[in-house]
Amino acid sequence: MTIAVLFTVLFGCMFIGMPIAIALGLSSITTILLFSNDSLASVALKLFEATSEHYTLLAIPFFILSSAFLSTGGVAKRLINFAVNSVGHIRGGLAMASVLACMLFAAVSGSSPATVAAIGTICIAGMVRSGYPQSFAAGVIANAGTLGILIPPSIVMLVYAAATEVSASRMFMAGFIPGLMMGLILMIAIYIVARIKGLPSQPFPGFGALARSGLIALGGLMLIIIVLGSIYGGIASPTEAAAVAAVYGYFIAVMGYRDIGPLRNVAWRNEGEAMPSAIVRNIGQMLLAFPKSAFDTEVRKVILDASKVSLMLLFIIANAMLFAHVLTTERIPHHIAEAIVSWGLPAWGFLIIMNLLLLAAGNFMEPSAILLIMAPILFPIAMQLGIDPIHLGIIMVVNMEIGMLTPPVGLNLFVTAGITGQNMIWVIKACLPWLCLLLGFLGLITYVPEISLFLPEYIDKLKGY
Amino acid sequence: APIEIKFSHVVAENTPKGQMAIKFKELVAERLAGKAEVEVYPNSQLFGDGKELEAMLLGDIQFIAPSLSKFQKYTSSLQVFDLPFLFKNMEAVEKFQQSEAGQKMLMSMEDKGLIGLGYLHNGLKQLSASEPLRVPSDAAGKKFRIMTSDVLQSQFEAVEAVPLKKPFSEVFTLLQTKAIDGQENTWSNIYSKKFFEVQPYITESNHGVLDYLVVTSTEFWMDLDEDIRAELKKALDEAIAYGNEIAAKKGDEDRQAIIDSNRSEIIELTDAERQQWVDAMKPVWKQFESDIGADLIEAAVSSNN
Amino acid sequence: MLKKIIGQAEEAFISLLLVSMTLLVFVEVVARFGFNTGIHWSQELTLILAGWFVLFGASYGVKVGAHIGVDVFVKLLPKKAYRALTLLAIVLCLVYCGLFLAGSWVYVSKMYKIGIELEDIPLPRWMPMTVLLIGLVLLVIRFLQLGWKVITGEADGFHMADEAKESLELAKELQESDDAGELYSTNKGSK
Ligand code: NA
Ligand code: NA
Repeated sequence: MTIAVLFTVLFGCMFIGMPIAIALGLSSITTILLFSNDSLASVALKLFEATSEHYTLLAIPFFILSSAFLSTGGVAKRLINFAVNSVGHIRGGLAMASVLACMLFAAVSGSSPATVAAIGTICIAGMVRSGYPQSFAAGVIANAGTLGILIPPSIVMLVYAAATEVSASRMFMAGFIPGLMMGLILMIAIYIVARIKGLPSQPFPGFGALARSGLIALGGLMLIIIVLGSIYGGIASPTEAAAVAAVYGYFIAVMGYRDIGPLRNVAWRNEGEAMPSAIVRNIGQMLLAFPKSAFDTEVRKVILDASKVSLMLLFIIANAMLFAHVLTTERIPHHIAEAIVSWGLPAWGFLIIMNLLLLAAGNFMEPSAILLIMAPILFPIAMQLGIDPIHLGIIMVVNMEIGMLTPPVGLNLFVTAGITGQNMIWVIKACLPWLCLLLGFLGLITYVPEISLFLPEYIDKLKGY
Repeated sequence: APIEIKFSHVVAENTPKGQMAIKFKELVAERLAGKAEVEVYPNSQLFGDGKELEAMLLGDIQFIAPSLSKFQKYTSSLQVFDLPFLFKNMEAVEKFQQSEAGQKMLMSMEDKGLIGLGYLHNGLKQLSASEPLRVPSDAAGKKFRIMTSDVLQSQFEAVEAVPLKKPFSEVFTLLQTKAIDGQENTWSNIYSKKFFEVQPYITESNHGVLDYLVVTSTEFWMDLDEDIRAELKKALDEAIAYGNEIAAKKGDEDRQAIIDSNRSEIIELTDAERQQWVDAMKPVWKQFESDIGADLIEAAVSSNN
Repeated sequence: MLKKIIGQAEEAFISLLLVSMTLLVFVEVVARFGFNTGIHWSQELTLILAGWFVLFGASYGVKVGAHIGVDVFVKLLPKKAYRALTLLAIVLCLVYCGLFLAGSWVYVSKMYKIGIELEDIPLPRWMPMTVLLIGLVLLVIRFLQLGWKVITGEADGFHMADEAKESLELAKELQESDDAGELYSTNKGSK
């Protein structure tokens, strides 16, 4: 009965178009009023706790802020340039370069649609101009873009870590090899298709140009080193690394590349300017740029955009915690787990059911919302069946990747339709062959836990355990 | 309907505290069947460390057992337990807790809406770090994670170390990556939280006590019928005694398990070395004497004899 | 005019909360790693700012349509039905606000009565909690405004934020920027 009310109110509210956060909160508080002795005051306390007692969750706004600075600047363009120079000369190279660019961008950003938009805009047009079929280009990008949430940092992984209290840094580590692997699989598939269809290649620009483009892209690539380096190098926790990344994002976009902000169009060195005077001028201008940033419309817009996304996500998470609180007090995961365990499903059977459930949810809902609702229910069952919590997390993330590509709600589909100007049916068809690849990859990840667990366990071993 | 008692805590079910809560539930089910019923919520399922006291004041949970340092904003007297090198062993701690002064402290938060029902042991604290700590100067300049407590902060400042407050969820990573150099905890916490895996040196300092206080809200407790209240108190006392027994045994077992793991070296202090730590940290007593009360500190010291 | 100033102040305040949170954590890392010292009140302050950021910002999210929801189904309905369902949803949102306001009032007054301080900052504990009341009242105002817009026909739904749409804006910006196409023309030129 309690379960029925809770979920009926939740889905009813969601169906009439209510914000997910409020739907989660309202269904929780209704259930509490009807079936429990808990006071309204304690629910308010829980809401305050959910917004102000979870230090680890702050990594989410910090990474979003960092991504916001990097997405507005020309970081994407510089990464693509580097990727084209490195693999563009292989047959089908431009498509491979696009995948590589998506992987690189994924390593600095935590979001999939942002990856598709940033890389896709330039790469799809470029591929078409070089003689690739448009549907081929669009399919490749829409798929490679999903790597945004598998290659660390990843907002979705942070949400999973928050929902299950699994270590975020171990999740990040675990996503690394699957991310590389998925990228490689895509590239191999592209190579095979390119051989069969005779797709074009670019001339090799020479090692000088390759090195130069690498150097220019370094400002963006450094973020990977800063985030992973400071977490594993003993400087900071994931939350703190995220704050460092946000500050770095500001520096590289405003002071370094100068694509936005008060230093926009200010050259590092003017023509004919002597080196010492350029240094003095730059230092002076950069010091002035700090206070100026506070009044700069572009910088303020980036921060405000990041604020909107962050507070939306954190407000959902806070309400989802209320929802999880109700699930716990009413011992609902307990009951569901008992039922599923009583079917006597083995771990592999449970994993099939779980994948189907997550794929179905992925059709209608957003990754963070799915994880926040499903993780508290599925996690305890998986633990009972002896599934590793990190492995479980990676399976869920790969499911969420697929959800980005399935209609009717698939963020990457929308973005791809937008940048190609084609309709949804066309985009879905373009993505379909690649989606099958992704499904095969899901099977691999599900039944070969070592792919996800190798790196975190290897690093543990390195440290001598 | 039977009176519903929600016992919420923030640790696992297999810990002494978790076992004690389960024992209490069983005793109540046995003796107060149909009159009262206990439901245990472990692992911060209902409320986290920071909010369980407030939730109890709102009447949504009835029993909790936070560590003694958690009460510093409710009463200054309980801070006495955080003072370094006050008790020489757990027997002295027990003796002090059962003394008149110790029992009087149970009621020290009545005006804030809290009643203490009994002390539950965890054990004596040890110092762990990424480098060996033999004398106080070894700790100088090193970063130690502490629980929120003014006394503990002063204790580390007294040996010129840097006390840092970090949420428990981040401590393991920070220790692992050596972003923080060390921490203080009981044997059973060092073992169960796997700190020994990332802290190669543990100094057997026994420098302080980490115990819990089982509390309930004044409103709830005073509303109960007298006979039910008495029966509950009796059941709780038995459960606490049971929990204390497990705590003592588990402390020894976990210490041995850490030795057997070969991951950390256990450093035993010579008398002279130990005296250096005492000399360095004891000024903290004076610092908090006016807050805690000189007579209370005196009473605690006398329980060592 | 006044409306514009309030709007800008609201945006500035929310941005300021996010920036100060970020900088507090950043400075803490620098202090620990660079200067071997800690800031003992920084964690508590960061978390309070986070609470304010989310609870104060929630109503701003309604104003600018930042919240996400599932609107694929309602959008399929005829306009009238769509609006009616949106109004129902708004009423339910107001119920949510009412229930939480009632609970928050009891909670904050209880903490006010007990009068204990925060852990590390010498302020009464109830003070930061007032954001529950402030945030929820603002949320009520925003929902009433939205409801009025739906009644007068200015709006149909919640104008859910669309991560896809936002990413597209980013795409447009990139396309418009001058050297986007340059890359391929140079590569082609050298062929
Ligand atoms: Na990523
Ligand atoms: Na989908």
